[in-house]
Amino acid sequence: MSEKTRFRLFLLFLLGPTIVLVLAVVAYPFFYNVVLSLSNMNIYHIRDWEVIGLQQYAAVAREPAFWSVFLKTIIWTGVNIVFHVGLGVFLAVLLHQKFIRGKSAWRVLLILPWALPQYITALTWRGMFTAEYGAIDIVWRQYLSLPAIEWLTQPGPAFAAAILTNIWLGFPFMMVIALGGLQSIPAELYEAADVDGASEWKKFWNITVPLLRPVMIPAITLGIVWTFNNINVVWLVSNGGEPNDQTHILVSYVYEAAFTMYRFGWAAALSMIIFFILFAFTQVLLKRTKATEAAY
Amino acid sequence: MRSFSIFALLILLLSGCGSADDGRVKVRIWHQKIGAERAFFEDAIAAYNAAHTDRVVEILYRENEELRNLFITASVGGQGPELVFGPSDNVSIFALTESIRPITDVLPDSFLASFNEDGIVQWEGTPWFVADQVGNHLTYVYNKALMPSPPTTMDSLITILKQVQARDEVRYGLTWNYTEPFFFIPFLTCSGGWVMDEQGNPTLDNEATVRAIQFVLDLRDKHQLIPAQSDYNVAETLFKDQLAASIINGPWSWAGYSDAGVDYGLARIPRMDASSDWCAPVISAKGYAVNVNVNDEKLSYVHDLLVYLTGPEMQTRMAEEIATIPVIDAVRNAEVVQQNPVLQASLRQVEVGRPMPTAPQMRQIWDGMRGPYQLVMSGTISAEEGARRMQEEVEKRIADTFL
Repeated sequence: MSEKTRFRLFLLFLLGPTIVLVLAVVAYPFFYNVVLSLSNMNIYHIRDWEVIGLQQYAAVAREPAFWSVFLKTIIWTGVNIVFHVGLGVFLAVLLHQKFIRGKSAWRVLLILPWALPQYITALTWRGMFTAEYGAIDIVWRQYLSLPAIEWLTQPGPAFAAAILTNIWLGFPFMMVIALGGLQSIPAELYEAADVDGASEWKKFWNITVPLLRPVMIPAITLGIVWTFNNINVVWLVSNGGEPNDQTHILVSYVYEAAFTMYRFGWAAALSMIIFFILFAFTQVLLKRTKATEAAY
Repeated sequence: MRSFSIFALLILLLSGCGSADDGRVKVRIWHQKIGAERAFFEDAIAAYNAAHTDRVVEILYRENEELRNLFITASVGGQGPELVFGPSDNVSIFALTESIRPITDVLPDSFLASFNEDGIVQWEGTPWFVADQVGNHLTYVYNKALMPSPPTTMDSLITILKQVQARDEVRYGLTWNYTEPFFFIPFLTCSGGWVMDEQGNPTLDNEATVRAIQFVLDLRDKHQLIPAQSDYNVAETLFKDQLAASIINGPWSWAGYSDAGVDYGLARIPRMDASSDWCAPVISAKGYAVNVNVNDEKLSYVHDLLVYLTGPEMQTRMAEEIATIPVIDAVRNAEVVQQNPVLQASLRQVEVGRPMPTAPQMRQIWDGMRGPYQLVMSGTISAEEGARRMQEEVEKRIADTFL
């Protein structure tokens, strides 16, 4: 056996377990889902299902609720990402300043929302939004004397409650990434800008932002995909889409279709559509922002 | 198909083939028992395990909806626990998906003969399910310290609640969960309505439903006797904190009221004055079904366990310790039930209850009613709009299920 063959076998030995695992937990479910999306699998045909072509995709497109849920998903993702990145970068820049004392303690405090399990945070926030006993409701009405907001029983406020919870959960991730990015920016650049008499805003806009971009764009891309697909928060805060299924995003809508209504074929078709949306978006974003290219 | 078989084989090997590591035969039960019933069940299983050295019973709690969905998924995939415990309305979905096997495969007629008609649940002529209790029913629960005697009609309910609510320490006369249509059914039945006809078609867009919704809205807006917003936890807390004088809730909650120091009484949910009909909650049995994947080798163990869990001795203990209504007449007529005031009050409510339909459409009816019911209770839509949207939503869900 030649050295080259032995080397290849060694590589195969190293990669083998990974290949098997990826095939078992990624490739197989993915292709099984593709097949299901072309099938009539539902509660009446759970064992004797058959392939029926693209009918489920057409049914998804015909479903009026699909488009409103899609719009809500875009709002959900957009608002969350704007606040995650805005708050995250703002706090990171603040923590990076020399005049801030006790940076480690602040960092730990600000990372806490991210460190806690999502479902605990989501259920805690749901409790705080509850009428009669919720902290937010009590502060809002009793201490601020503002008119009561029916946070969890009206569609708009319920969706806003889910968004507020997810903003709380998501900004620490962006803050940590931005902090890492800030530490890698050479101090000489700021010193040179000081010599040139640049204002703090100009330094931020012309040095910090461009040099943070290569770090932040992949993080934002990841954040968009995670937020778009984040079923936990919206499901737990709204208790499964309440009121009247008005607080669904696409993934919670898929979950309900599959596991409440047992429309497995339809749900599989919708999940494929979600996959294509995110795949196309990620490709376009990465290409346009040239995020994978070196900054220096 | 071959790749699926290999995958299934792999999962089977990883899952340990259903035997405990020490060689004992493992029998698993998924259940949705909560509160005192769960504690009782855990003790009963621990006692069973201690008495048998050749087998071990493992139990796993899952919330009701999750239990049903995961059991179907597991069973269709050739897996899942040997036994599943839950309410009888799961039976049709389990049978339709061929997830369970007839209960007569496991329990002989001689054993089943002692059960009354509530105890053996059939769907399309086949017995699928053996119960250890019947009920799961809503009842009017009142705080005796705030309300010495309960109302019997809705007019008297309004009068009494207004008097009670005039006291400073009482915030609301009555409360219940506004998010689940299960809690709306009593008002629907005493207004002359019901959820489906005999063919399983929804019957919600009519005068009866509008009357029922309007009555509830009047309680909230006109008489201001119930909270503006409430879900299960809010309703429970209001009653336990003695801020609400009464609550509509089921047997699973009663022990918690004693623990919270509430001196409570049970009564039938009052009757509607105009029709004289009692506000009837749905009643259903709760019990066990056998996974279709249980092999013949394990059947004798499952049989033995089911006899233990549903037999007269266990039902007597359950009635005595956790106040469940037995489904074996000999136990129901025994002193332990006849002399128990809580069980007698509970039975009086059951007498006027409506049996839970076992038709699979019941799933779509609950799900379709839920959204409009929530919108009605949040004041977003009118009673007429609520009834119309309930009907539309249920019809759409039933139609969608076939795609």
